[in-house]
Amino acid sequence: MPMEEQMHSFEPKIIAFVCTWCTYAGADLAGTSRMQYPANVRVLKFPCTGRIDPVFILKAFQQGADGVLVSGCHPGDCHYIAGNFHARRRFAVFRKLLEFVGVDLGRLQFSWVSAAEGGKWVEMVTDLTERVRGMGPMRDFEELALEEQWSGAITTPELQEAYDSI
Amino acid sequence: MSRIGVFICHCGENISRTVDVERVAALVGTLPGVAFSTDYKYMCSDPGQGLLKKAIQEQRLSHVVVAACSPRMHEKTFRKAVESAGLNPFLCEMANIREHCSWVHEDRDEATAKAVEIVGMMVERVKKNRVLPTITVPVTKRSLVIGGGIAGIQAALDIADAGHEVVLVEREPSIGGHMAQLSETFPTLDCSQCIMTPKMVDVANHPKITLYTYAEIEQVEGYIGNFQVTVRKKARSVDEDKCTGCGVCMTKCPQKKIPNTFDRNLGMRPAIYVPFPQAVPNTPVIDRENCTKFKTGKCGVCQKVCGPGAVDYEQEDQLIVEPVGAIVVATGFDLYSIEEKPKGSPIKGYGEFGHGKIPDVIDGMTFERLASASGPTGGKILRPSDGREPKQIVFIQCVGSRAREKGISYCSKICCMYTAKHTMLYHHKVHDGQAYVFFMDARTPGKSYDEFWRRSIEEEEAVYIRGMVSRLYQKGDKIVVMGSDIAVGVQVEIEADMVVLATAVQPQKGADTLAQKLGISYDKYHFYSEAHAKLRPVECATAGIYLAGACQGPKDIPDTVSQASAAAAKVMTLFAKDKLEREPIVARVREAGCVGCFYCQKVCPYGAVEEKEIRDRQGNLVKVVAYVNPGVCGGCGTCQATCPSKSVELDGYTDEQIVAMIEAL
Amino acid sequence: MTNTIDTSIYVAITEAIQGEVRRILSEGNVSAVIGYAAARRKGSAQPTVIVQPDDAEKLIFSAACVNNLAVYLTKAKKEIPKTGKIGIVVKGCDLKALVGLMGESQLKREDLYLIGVPCAGVLASTAQPAQPLTSDTIAPKCRECDARLPTGCDFVPDQQPVIPELERRYSAEIARLEAMPPAERWAYWKEQFKKCIKCYACRQVCPFCFCEQCLCDRNKPQMVETTPRPAGNAAWHIVRGMHLAGRCAGCAECERVCPMDIPLNLLNRKMAKELKELYNYEAGFEMQEKGPLATYDEKDDQSFIK
Repeated sequence: MPMEEQMHSFEPKIIAFVCTWCTYAGADLAGTSRMQYPANVRVLKFPCTGRIDPVFILKAFQQGADGVLVSGCHPGDCHYIAGNFHARRRFAVFRKLLEFVGVDLGRLQFSWVSAAEGGKWVEMVTDLTERVRGMGPMRDFEELALEEQWSGAITTPELQEAYDSI
Repeated sequence: MSRIGVFICHCGENISRTVDVERVAALVGTLPGVAFSTDYKYMCSDPGQGLLKKAIQEQRLSHVVVAACSPRMHEKTFRKAVESAGLNPFLCEMANIREHCSWVHEDRDEATAKAVEIVGMMVERVKKNRVLPTITVPVTKRSLVIGGGIAGIQAALDIADAGHEVVLVEREPSIGGHMAQLSETFPTLDCSQCIMTPKMVDVANHPKITLYTYAEIEQVEGYIGNFQVTVRKKARSVDEDKCTGCGVCMTKCPQKKIPNTFDRNLGMRPAIYVPFPQAVPNTPVIDRENCTKFKTGKCGVCQKVCGPGAVDYEQEDQLIVEPVGAIVVATGFDLYSIEEKPKGSPIKGYGEFGHGKIPDVIDGMTFERLASASGPTGGKILRPSDGREPKQIVFIQCVGSRAREKGISYCSKICCMYTAKHTMLYHHKVHDGQAYVFFMDARTPGKSYDEFWRRSIEEEEAVYIRGMVSRLYQKGDKIVVMGSDIAVGVQVEIEADMVVLATAVQPQKGADTLAQKLGISYDKYHFYSEAHAKLRPVECATAGIYLAGACQGPKDIPDTVSQASAAAAKVMTLFAKDKLEREPIVARVREAGCVGCFYCQKVCPYGAVEEKEIRDRQGNLVKVVAYVNPGVCGGCGTCQATCPSKSVELDGYTDEQIVAMIEAL
Repeated sequence: MTNTIDTSIYVAITEAIQGEVRRILSEGNVSAVIGYAAARRKGSAQPTVIVQPDDAEKLIFSAACVNNLAVYLTKAKKEIPKTGKIGIVVKGCDLKALVGLMGESQLKREDLYLIGVPCAGVLASTAQPAQPLTSDTIAPKCRECDARLPTGCDFVPDQQPVIPELERRYSAEIARLEAMPPAERWAYWKEQFKKCIKCYACRQVCPFCFCEQCLCDRNKPQMVETTPRPAGNAAWHIVRGMHLAGRCAGCAECERVCPMDIPLNLLNRKMAKELKELYNYEAGFEMQEKGPLATYDEKDDQSFIK
């Protein structure tokens, strides 16, 4: 199949981790207002963004998500007072780690969407879906999972020495 | 082995128009663990719920997934239905295929495929759901009220009238707070003491109220429904039971020249004193720091003249432990001091206003004492320096408030109104006196407030000058006030006989220490933080502790009384049941895995994490682990995401449940 | 150009340590001291526990004293209450780890007798123990060290280390990787992670990996695959990097013990750099009540959040 056709038939899998009190409610409002958006997103409900462990984001990518959206209450509005403040720091650090390891951060979106912002939810989902559609499938973890072992590349002098002595 | 029941709702046509519900039911029915899968037009209706309950019993279902609207809509409905059929409500989950699916996607194939995935995801999740029994915490139906100003008095009376015991603790020798110091109150010019003293007497006489005055909170332990509060009753040196309030000791005390803080140091009092004549209780206190007997061992006159023999120099502080179920904090406010460099205050001094060095430059509360009929001047407005009547008074608004450069950015809320009131009181007492007010804005939002304010200009002939004052200085026996009139655009100089500064409102001294004892949060100004600025203004994030009055933010009397009654209502809601029931979405520590790093404790917004010692059979300490108090935990799960070993788990949102969802997609 | 690094102070330091340990053990308030002793291979050192004052002469300090002894206080911490105060010989990097542990309630300062060591550097894992300390043989972590003189200790020998001017290799490598496009970076790390054999030596030697049961060993749910396959390895290292962020003291023991030469400290130094830039956090000699991820500021950066 030609590359363009492949791209067009690629439907990104977007997983969203959202907090109950703000973003989930905002998404509900988008529904009540009958706003339309791409059907690629699957929403996981958390009590608070404070509950969202960075490991979940990693797991989502490993399970084949092409894009991940993490969204919660605006700072200062957290139903549990400070959960989103802690989450904010955690996410800031984790994304730097992922970026350094080579994950394209275009696939990972963070947002604050309040219960009144149905429109913003639609915008966030649509933006991410279309951006990831343009980037293509997230192959990194898929390829990694398919590999069984080390490639055998000799990259350090010690390995070269060991290899030579066989 | 799970026997999951799946119920796909049509929601009339709301879901079935876009999602092929029969197909979803059929496909989900083939998933492992699903024993029963069906669709129905209106799951939330009575017949719908009946279908649910019947299926649970007939099909021996172990878990239930209702695919319908948002759980924010009907999760409670279905969990109650499931509970009535004999299944633990937390084994029931909802899959949102309406707000998140049928309403937002038009393509039938796409919407149906997504619905299948959503329901499948919830089926996998519910397999990891565990039975969560409702958590109950016993409640001691007694309340503590800290602070005996109008807020504390109102809250105490409301709670006590509802039939619950109240312990009211007041730091000063008498209740009454700042309201007792006021002469007349806006917007009606009621005499403050007249409206307040009946309430003070009610408190003293109320059978359900235990009043501790000249007492402070020493320690607070426990949690909502179960606090143990240690009160330190400071030694009055007078036996309250014997004292009849005759007052002879005060008249005979040779030490008469101690500045009376109630009168803002304008009046004097003896060493054995009551702060004001209408004090409740009317039992005097010996100021041991200034009393001759305590300083030198000589004197002892008061004891000699006391008929009932109530004076007791040997009396010591008493520590009393009171068990209570709720705490209302009503510690009130203080005015920012205009003296030089207030220690430890976030506000810097006002050198340009005489640093408190010019005696006729006073603050608002001092003016109240001058105006008060029971004050040091008998209600006459007189200059503190020479006792003469001032003919020109300059009032300066916003001294310290709304001034980011000096440290306070907030508005103190009450000053516009009380300054207008001051101009009126002044004009009533000194008919030929002229009041000038330098102001920035007039903030008069309450009922009849603006009309009141306008009266001071239209009827009481106060001159309001919009502009700020840059400097005051003494010139002979007058004070020169240099300010600007920005409406006209000129610099103004007024030679005043007296200057009254509307200084900023700040929380009481020691607010931070008390907050730390209680475990409640406060902001950078030491005002106490409410749980949610709009929706929970009288509760603290710490369960069981409520706020009333100016300790939460600058406030006038009507709002203070409203808030006090609101706090009392919250307490009464708490006491309405014998046991406090709460949703069991709480964190629990798996002690085997916990290494006691206490990251959970550091991040918990509710302070719900305590330390627990694990000891072996010989009593040796093995390790200290975290323990989450289920009565206090808010259920956010921040602890679990922060714990490196995930030894603390949020019931209802465990890692297993979440990973099951991710893996199902 | 290979520069020799002056390690002459280590002789005096060794004597000072021996004297101090003999003294404190004889006086009786310290019941044991963890330090370094000579090991069997010429010039090498190994951790040791000294209990008798006379054995104090076995203690040494040299460029071969590479171990972070703080790790012995974590695995064995259940023993501390029974045995009284424990002394420990710490280089600057080791002290930072201890201080971090105190902040996490794993150790109490009053239970320890800290013997700080002015350090000019130690040998890299690729160097032979008998080799002299030079700009070629020095451990990469020492090239960027700012902690040569530990403070807040109970005893520090008087010597001043001579600090040589060395090229900062971690910083350079981090910059090199940051400049690559994501796909190239991923290829680099994929190669590195694929080498991992899941021996968990990095976890065993790290003072901050004191969890009784590591998240990555749990299977309900399984967050990280345990078999040494590239996917599981990548997940392991990413999760460990995240768990150490804001805690890692930079002792680089993980990198030293890795049998497959995975540049683990590179990942940890990058995280340390980010934490410094984002929240002005650095592992140091002063105990912090709350690490950067246990607290927050209302004005924290949220430029990445829409």
